[in-house]
Amino acid sequence: MELTTNKKGDFTIAEINGRIDTTNYNEFETQIMDVIEKGEKNIILNCEGLNYISSSGLRVFLITQKKLMGLKGKLHLCNMQPAIKEIFDMSGFSSIFKIFNTEEEALE
Amino acid sequence: MEIISKKSLASRIVFYVAAFCVLLFLISLSVFYFFSKKSIEEKTIENALEITQNTVLKTEQVLISSEKILNNYRWLIEKNIAYADSMEAYTRRILQMNPEIIGCAIAFKPDFFPEKGYYFSPFTYRNKDLLVSTQLGNEEYDYFVMDWYQIPATLEKPYWSEPYYDTGGGNALMTTYSMPFYSSNNGDKELAGIITIDLSLEWFTDIVSSVKILETGYASVISRNGTFVTHPNTDIIMNQTIFSFAAEMQSPGLRQIGRNMQAGKTGFEDVVVNGRDLIVSYKPLLTSNWTLAVVFSRDEMYAPLRQISLVLIFIIVIGMALMVFIVKKIVEQQIAPLKCFARSSIEIAEGNFNTELPDIKTEDEMKELHNAFVHMQTDLKKYIKNLKETTSAKEKIESELRIAREIQMGMIPKIFPPFPDTPEIDLYAMLEPAKEVGGDLYDFFMIDDTHLCYAIGDVSGKGVPASLFMAVTRTLLRSVAPKQRSTSEIVNNLNNSLAIGNESSMFVTFFIGIINLKTGEMNYTNAGHNPPIIIHADNKSEFFEITQDIPIGLFENYDYTEKTRVLSENDRLFLYTDGITEAENWDEELYSDERLIKCIRAINSLDPTEIVMKVARDVVVHVNDCQQSDDLTMMSIIYKGSKK
Repeated sequence: MELTTNKKGDFTIAEINGRIDTTNYNEFETQIMDVIEKGEKNIILNCEGLNYISSSGLRVFLITQKKLMGLKGKLHLCNMQPAIKEIFDMSGFSSIFKIFNTEEEALE
Repeated sequence: MEIISKKSLASRIVFYVAAFCVLLFLISLSVFYFFSKKSIEEKTIENALEITQNTVLKTEQVLISSEKILNNYRWLIEKNIAYADSMEAYTRRILQMNPEIIGCAIAFKPDFFPEKGYYFSPFTYRNKDLLVSTQLGNEEYDYFVMDWYQIPATLEKPYWSEPYYDTGGGNALMTTYSMPFYSSNNGDKELAGIITIDLSLEWFTDIVSSVKILETGYASVISRNGTFVTHPNTDIIMNQTIFSFAAEMQSPGLRQIGRNMQAGKTGFEDVVVNGRDLIVSYKPLLTSNWTLAVVFSRDEMYAPLRQISLVLIFIIVIGMALMVFIVKKIVEQQIAPLKCFARSSIEIAEGNFNTELPDIKTEDEMKELHNAFVHMQTDLKKYIKNLKETTSAKEKIESELRIAREIQMGMIPKIFPPFPDTPEIDLYAMLEPAKEVGGDLYDFFMIDDTHLCYAIGDVSGKGVPASLFMAVTRTLLRSVAPKQRSTSEIVNNLNNSLAIGNESSMFVTFFIGIINLKTGEMNYTNAGHNPPIIIHADNKSEFFEITQDIPIGLFENYDYTEKTRVLSENDRLFLYTDGITEAENWDEELYSDERLIKCIRAINSLDPTEIVMKVARDVVVHVNDCQQSDDLTMMSIIYKGSKK
């Protein structure tokens, strides 16, 4: 799993590459929390390169969402692969997160 | 090397030291032998030449003095040649004055003194101490044809005869020196006769016989025609020539030497006679054309050297034996602690870390080894102590986890078939945690005589945290469900209880259903769980529709939806957690929804146990020994219809 960030307007775009499972969700959690601690309140998680997510990974998404809501910030997800989208749908997470098809849509 | 390497270190060291010493000694001995041999050879040859030279000088001196005597008397005889009667007096005088001369004759040519007759030859010889004078010539002894007369007369030169045995006087070995003398007739010199002296060769033999060189070396004189005049072997004196001897001994070298001698050459040569290596030094006696030879054995020349070498070798062998013994003792003494160290290390390996080490008093490599051993002992003791502590701590945790697993498994119903008295329904379930304890759960129970409640859930994450959350969920379910007929109410209740103070944002995907066994009517709620599969009586199978409800434990007061459907006779339900569909093989390929439903369709069985087992087997085939990464949970229910 790799996380690369760059700033675009009000948003920090974080691109996830690889898989998030029980072996590395901690890593993902630390990295995304680092971004928030630097003062970023509006984050777009670009999931184009995410090819697997376990329930542990979903939990980190939830924690991030809760944290940003507490800071009155925003978490947008975009560019999900169909398999990932299916997991979000099945688990009901699609209704918790704001999910966009493209990064441009997520930026608006 | 094979044999040596099996021996002790001491033996090996001794072997190498000894081998080196032997090599050194061999080289030294060879060099010593080579140079000594050369030196001895030079000395011996020098000595032999000197002896030859000296002996020749000594013998020649006698012969030359004889020649001189005769020369002087010739002059006297020639001067007084007219006085025939004084001739006998001369012969007596010569013998009187020269004790080495044993006979003297003045032999005139035939009819020189007509008054004296055809023969006239006064002759005086020694008979013991007396001098006896007589006339030599007569009819029987016609001296004119004798060698001693004829040769010098013909050659008009002095002549030394070949040695001979005197038959008349005492059987002694003799030689005769003959010299012509002349008369003067009107100024013309004319041969008048031959004057001779007989010389005993005893003195000559004495000189030559006194020569000794090495053990058996000797000197010998060989006459002009090769006859042995002197020789240590008296049998061959005058009986053999060097040529006959060479033929007898089959020694061509000796024959060649004989020829050289006849040619009056000086030489120093090696020759093999009778199998012996001999060295011959020879030199002619110029007066008589005889040859003196000094003969010695080459073997004897080297004998002292051989003797010294043998003594040396003997000393070396004794010395080597002593050295081997002493070196072995020293090395054994020096390395004795090694055996103790070996014993100590075996004891240490057997676990006795306090074993006693050998006491080393020297400050050398042994001391270093000793210190290293002490260091190893203390380190090992420390290490083993730590290991024991960590092992016991680990064992404690493991045993606690084992107990936790037993507790967790005890919370799940595991008696199948669970409701043997309820013919409308049959059910089978299994749960296989990835670690000792897991976050999956299933449960089923009769709410009353006609309602079966069943549930399956999956806590986010794994291990101890997940198992605690699972235990709480299961406990809440059992306390909430019996009072409720609505699945959404049950889930709402669970959600509210779990969401309060859920700091770590753990959640449970959860599916719960309640079946009315009389009617087949089933109401259910899906809180973010994988949709179950329904298998119809005709084996047509499909997933339940996806609801948008979120897992429980996330947001308080979330309102979950409830759905209903009616089961027909022999409809089957298959519930599972994502551990099944997301089971991975080595290539990280998921088992997947597609493969699951394909497998279910292929099973086509009415037995829930068979359905669960066959899916489990198919998952195992897919995973192919890859490590199980998530808890595996399955439940299968068959509704057999209402039995009136």
